[in-house]
Amino acid sequence: MNILVACKIVPDDQDVKVAGDGSLDFSRAHKVVSTYDLNAIEAAAQIAAANDGSTVKAISVGPKKADDSKTKKNILARGVDELFLAADDALDGLDAFATAAELAKLAAKAGDWDVIITGDGSADLYAKQTGVQLAAKLGVPFVSGVVSAEAADGKLVAKRLLESEEETVEVPLPAVVSVAPEFAEPRIAGMKDILAAGKKPMNVEGAEGAPAKAVEEVSVKAPAEVDRKKEMFDDVDAFAAAVKAAL
Amino acid sequence: MSKAFVIAETENGARELCAGARKLADEVVLVSVGAPVSGAADKSFHIDVPAGNIADDAYVTVNKIYDAEGGDVVLGEQTLRALSLVGRLAAKLGAAAITGVSAVEGGVATSMYFGGTGVREAKAAGDVAVYTFGPGVFDASEATGTDAVEEAAFEAPENAVAKTGSEALPPSDVNLAGADAIVACGRGFGAEEDLQLARDLAAKLGAELACSRPLAEGVDWFPREAYVGVSGAVVSPKVYVAVGISGQMQHMVGCNGADVIVAVNKDKNAPVFKACDYGFVGDLKTVLPALTAAL
Repeated sequence: MNILVACKIVPDDQDVKVAGDGSLDFSRAHKVVSTYDLNAIEAAAQIAAANDGSTVKAISVGPKKADDSKTKKNILARGVDELFLAADDALDGLDAFATAAELAKLAAKAGDWDVIITGDGSADLYAKQTGVQLAAKLGVPFVSGVVSAEAADGKLVAKRLLESEEETVEVPLPAVVSVAPEFAEPRIAGMKDILAAGKKPMNVEGAEGAPAKAVEEVSVKAPAEVDRKKEMFDDVDAFAAAVKAAL
Repeated sequence: MSKAFVIAETENGARELCAGARKLADEVVLVSVGAPVSGAADKSFHIDVPAGNIADDAYVTVNKIYDAEGGDVVLGEQTLRALSLVGRLAAKLGAAAITGVSAVEGGVATSMYFGGTGVREAKAAGDVAVYTFGPGVFDASEATGTDAVEEAAFEAPENAVAKTGSEALPPSDVNLAGADAIVACGRGFGAEEDLQLARDLAAKLGAELACSRPLAEGVDWFPREAYVGVSGAVVSPKVYVAVGISGQMQHMVGCNGADVIVAVNKDKNAPVFKACDYGFVGDLKTVLPALTAAL
């Protein structure tokens, strides 16, 4: 099976600083692979391992800073054979429509594929829309919330964990499949994997032009602090009285 | 005349979104892929999804209804199936959905950024704005509309996904959205049997029981619907009692709408004490029974 896995490279939110005017400063943040996309990479690697002769290629779209040596190796150290990355500041902060269009271009460059796996949602927007937009762009089936999948004769037999039911489905290939974090815990990449990753093919390119925006960002700010009383108690009766009064 | 186009899966979702759609447009059109919903929109469509198909594949029909009805704004319910339908329609429109929206003001939608690290305001660049909303943003009881529901035939796409089985998840009696009081449990609970202390407190307060993410996803002590936080429920009770919850941003964004936040934690430096109204430092095994008894 030829598997593509889409992943997003995002600033590490641990490094985000709140500026004096309440805006968020990401300029010093390290680049990391979006959390749930690590589960998607692991899912791709596990499906590949279960099907002899499989390949796993990663596709990603982001700003120039996404072309980061450590992050690229981190992707390739997790059972991924090859990386296709479009890194250009014209591709920064793309919405799901534009991201899907760019990912579709990379998918075409990555050669024949049977399935494209995406994560549950990205760390920044958690919109859960890139997978379905990509499926729409490519004109293929889409399922989300997948917690297990087995390849069988031109299809993927998968279980989806939905809000109130678990659904078993047969997805004709090619298709785009979004996996839930429960599908697979990301592996811890060892030193040997990381060294080997440095020798794997990395195809990095710029943008052919700035894609049109479907969504315009107006502002990003730190959340307003809710004013709380912060009253501490050491007497349970007084504490109980305060709780009771609030009801 | 502006028109809103609502895509919903559950009946409550349909009513909430239709109530919200009234605030954004003059006319409301509803498409439901779950149960038929009457009395919520000016025009109500229902797509009966065949047993062998998935509701996500109802997009062919949904998009055709949109072509016929139009809409300046699309409101989608934030369930996985409805998100698929919203994404397919957005792709067709050259749009991208702004999801997890908590408010829309003058075409600008507010949602969370990086799990609550930030608050993002964004607007549609094209002619049609597409938003999705989690439960509780709008009041379902405000929905009004026609009793007539029009059936729209399900049309399968090429290469349709086949549904071969379905198993209902254990029914949940969790109702956080409507709760006046909530007792939420976190990692401070070392053993499952200690949860009884929280149940006792909740019973005394007439509160619903909830949890932070690790207790619903790390261990299976709670159903997923009971988890409060960025990718879980966002609640706004009168009183929210956080027990054994450290108070990470990702959890607190789920309960910041509470009138009063009460915290019990054995770590006096837990961030939750900086975000609460009433705090008590102590072991939950002694504090909870004492508090329950004193109430």
